[in-house]
Amino acid sequence: MEGFFSVFTVELLNSGIRLATPILLAALGGALCNQAGVLNLALESKMLLGAFVGILAAFYIGNSYAGLLVAMAAGGLLGLLFAFLYHKYKVDLVILAIAFNLIIVELTVFVMRALFGNVGSWSDPSIVRIPDIHIPLIEDIPFLGPILSGYNIIVYFSWLATAVMFVVLYKMRSGRHLRAVGENKSAAETVGINAVLLQTLALVISGMLAGLGGAFLSIGHLKLFTRNMSNGRGWIAIAAAMFGVNHPVGVFLASLFFGFADAFSVRIQNVTDLPPNLVKLLPNLATLLVLILIALRSKLALSMARRRFRAQLRAEEASAVAEPSS
Amino acid sequence: MNSVRFRKILDAILVPLLAVLSGLVVMGILILFLKKPLFESYAILFSNGFGCQAYGNCIFITALERATPLILTGLSAVVAFRSGMFSIGQEGQYLVGAATAAWLGYAIHLPPVLHPLVLILAAMLVGAGYGWIPGILKVKLGVNELLATIMLNSIAALVVEYLVQFPMRAEKSTTAHSPVIDESAQLLAFLPGSKWGVGFVIAVLAVILVYIYLWRTKSGYEQRMAGQSKKFALFGGIRSDSAAVRAMLISGALSGLAGAIEVMGVHRRIMTGFSVGLGFDGLTTAILGQVHPIGVFIVAILFSGLKLGAQIGLQLKLDIPRELGGTIIGFIILFVAAGKLYEENIVRARDWLLSRRGSKLKGESQ
Repeated sequence: MEGFFSVFTVELLNSGIRLATPILLAALGGALCNQAGVLNLALESKMLLGAFVGILAAFYIGNSYAGLLVAMAAGGLLGLLFAFLYHKYKVDLVILAIAFNLIIVELTVFVMRALFGNVGSWSDPSIVRIPDIHIPLIEDIPFLGPILSGYNIIVYFSWLATAVMFVVLYKMRSGRHLRAVGENKSAAETVGINAVLLQTLALVISGMLAGLGGAFLSIGHLKLFTRNMSNGRGWIAIAAAMFGVNHPVGVFLASLFFGFADAFSVRIQNVTDLPPNLVKLLPNLATLLVLILIALRSKLALSMARRRFRAQLRAEEASAVAEPSS
Repeated sequence: MNSVRFRKILDAILVPLLAVLSGLVVMGILILFLKKPLFESYAILFSNGFGCQAYGNCIFITALERATPLILTGLSAVVAFRSGMFSIGQEGQYLVGAATAAWLGYAIHLPPVLHPLVLILAAMLVGAGYGWIPGILKVKLGVNELLATIMLNSIAALVVEYLVQFPMRAEKSTTAHSPVIDESAQLLAFLPGSKWGVGFVIAVLAVILVYIYLWRTKSGYEQRMAGQSKKFALFGGIRSDSAAVRAMLISGALSGLAGAIEVMGVHRRIMTGFSVGLGFDGLTTAILGQVHPIGVFIVAILFSGLKLGAQIGLQLKLDIPRELGGTIIGFIILFVAAGKLYEENIVRARDWLLSRRGSKLKGESQ
């Protein structure tokens, strides 16, 4: 049992937060799209694209921060393409996502091999990993310091993005409009909200966030690119968005949960002989449960409303019967 | 053949055909970027994906072998889609089916003909059970089947990975895989040195049965009605809920069958990374195959051939990365999804043709 508890260290928290970051960024994007009523199943491909384009740009420009910007731009452009095809040609977003998930997995490796020869993964000594930032004062706080300080800029950006998204969605007009579009597109349009613009924005921003999340993998966490580097994180991000009921704070916590489960399953391999795959299973099971609970809640609400309506009808009928006789 | 039916078939084929051609054009552009010979590349792709040099040296047979699980997972997606369930759970059902067959393949010992039958039935049952979960969740509670199946896919992947690494792991193996299944449980191949065999026959039978079920039986009709319009089905007295659950059971069984055949006919065991996205490929097969059993059959062979041609033709002979094959398939799906682009032009072209023929006919009668 001692071995089991020795797993919980500051390093575990650190690596949990690091592993949560790409999931959080993509999940925020996914939640934004869900709130706008456009299901974004292409987070996986946008992440992978960001990872690949990010490291390429870092190599050719010679600056890793530029790589981050290019990765965001690439994800955003892909989001724009989705929005264009969806609104102009009514292409099914789910099928579009399936197509792009396939294209990006294969095309990134194709281009990598075309550029750098027949390799399974690629890196170059000239590429610099995004450096960690040690925040002077916070770093010295006992216990909290090492947990809050010492990450690279992408991690802090993801926290900032969570806060900004919360403010925009729940405290600002445009955010309310966006949620209205997600709730009922045609109703929102009849009151003059530009639904197409808002959904396009949601897809573009979500692409940018996912692209940055991907770049975190290739130049923020490691400094290499391998085939299918995102390795299902885009799908986990979709789960995290669902798990966090599409609320920025919920998504933040859900992503941390997934990140910690990941870090935990890595650590636990070294310390105990609990199978890591089963630890990784927990967040997925939890998400499925949350899906069921959400469905149950809305079903309950519906049946309650129905019952209230019936009771009201009965009351009205009774009064209607009573009235003529009086 | 009556002309209405002919035109319906033509309409169904035209968009996928144009999509495939567009995909091949994209391939040409990518090859030109690599500064490789364009026409030679096409020739090599097709001769190495669909060619047959001599008896016993036939790549097309390998394409058929690779197409087998694709046909079945594709059919699985067809049955689900046709009844209005947007299930992408083929991957998970495929994995649990494969794991079941791999386990029973070495855990129990039965005589030759009986053993494969038991394995196949067990895998189909387990797959059906795994398909039932999202079905019943959707019908009873309204849980989005798309999201539920995504979760169930990753759960199945992790559980199977765990099973392969721990309880089912063969002793003394460096890479995790299960023990080889009994010889009595292996599916026969038609030719020595190939793995194209009984599994393919089962897949062809499944194509026919799914077609008969969906288009020639009452419950299949109910299912398609439930898929096309829930309200209309309700007016007709069809219980669309039970039709949806039935569809998910059948869909799961077909994917489980695919997993079992892949274990019994090809790998003889299950190992880490068993699936390599095969379930997803089934989904894309169904989409390009116009959600029709016959379409799935053709497209599965086309996809396998394209991948093979890229892998053993383009990569080995022209040094073009084999990922080109998958890329083209992705683009083909993209072009199918954007089918409206073609449809507008097809209608325009047909109107133009008809008007021309009309004027010609008029000219003749005068």
